Amino acid sequence: MALETSIDQASGRVPITIVALKGELDASNFTELIEDVRRLYEEGSRDLLLDLTDLAFMASSGLVALHSILRLMHGEAPPDPEAGWGALHSLGLDVSGGGTQTEVQLCGPQGPVERVLTRTGLSRLFLIHPDRASAIAAF
Amino acid sequence: MSDSAERSEASARTLRVPSELGQLAALRDFLRTAADEAGVGDAGAADLVQAVDEAATNAMIHGHAGRPGWVEVDVATKDDRFVVNVRDDAPGFDPTTVQSPDLSVHPANRRPGGMGVLLARLCVDEMTYRPRPGGGNILTLVRRFERNGKEDR
Repeated sequence: MALETSIDQASGRVPITIVALKGELDASNFTELIEDVRRLYEEGSRDLLLDLTDLAFMASSGLVALHSILRLMHGEAPPDPEAGWGALHSLGLDVSGGGTQTEVQLCGPQGPVERVLTRTGLSRLFLIHPDRASAIAAF
Repeated sequence: MSDSAERSEASARTLRVPSELGQLAALRDFLRTAADEAGVGDAGAADLVQAVDEAATNAMIHGHAGRPGWVEVDVATKDDRFVVNVRDDAPGFDPTTVQSPDLSVHPANRRPGGMGVLLARLCVDEMTYRPRPGGGNILTLVRRFERNGKEDR
């Protein structure tokens, strides 16, 4: 199963860019997601909702994508995908205060994806909403 | 022996793919089908798929590192144990010696990588390594399950 990405816009208190993922996010396609978000940031998106409702699988490389997306949306130098896996692995991340940020939020993770986020502690980095509507209301 | 039992005995329980990231989906499909047929249960099957994906990804990226090679997965069920061997012909590397990220550290202050082996470990009950005779690696993953489909976790 490949990864399909669809982009949508919504208005909460701020303009929200919604990236909905469908399929499986793994080592073969996670850099494409990072590139999509890099382009959205360059086009002016500043608040991002990742809709994971239809994401059936997320590998640890998906966690690297989430980290990279967070950096990109905070205006930090985006990782160079040409430099490959090593460069992505060598990135640090310093979210001010070490708390949960609000520029990138998640919604709808199903069983397997939710477990990956929880087991690795990545759920502490993101506000995670049950569905798209409640997420939009929270921005 | 019934037809279905014969098919079950004879059906392929091994899948070998070229060492290409685009092949990971085929390995996951293979695992998902085998785990479902064994009655591992949805959560157990998802965990096995996760663990094998991480092991195979590591072999392809860190083991073969762009060189040609193969990754092979075989599965077997013994009593309440679903056993998966992930074999490859990459240079010898024991992932069980990789130090796990410290989960007590807030993720904002961690480096993003290094989660693959940890995830694989968390998804199964046993993870053991041995070198493959003739070169390469064998990582064995075991997940216990109850045959009535109830999960032990």
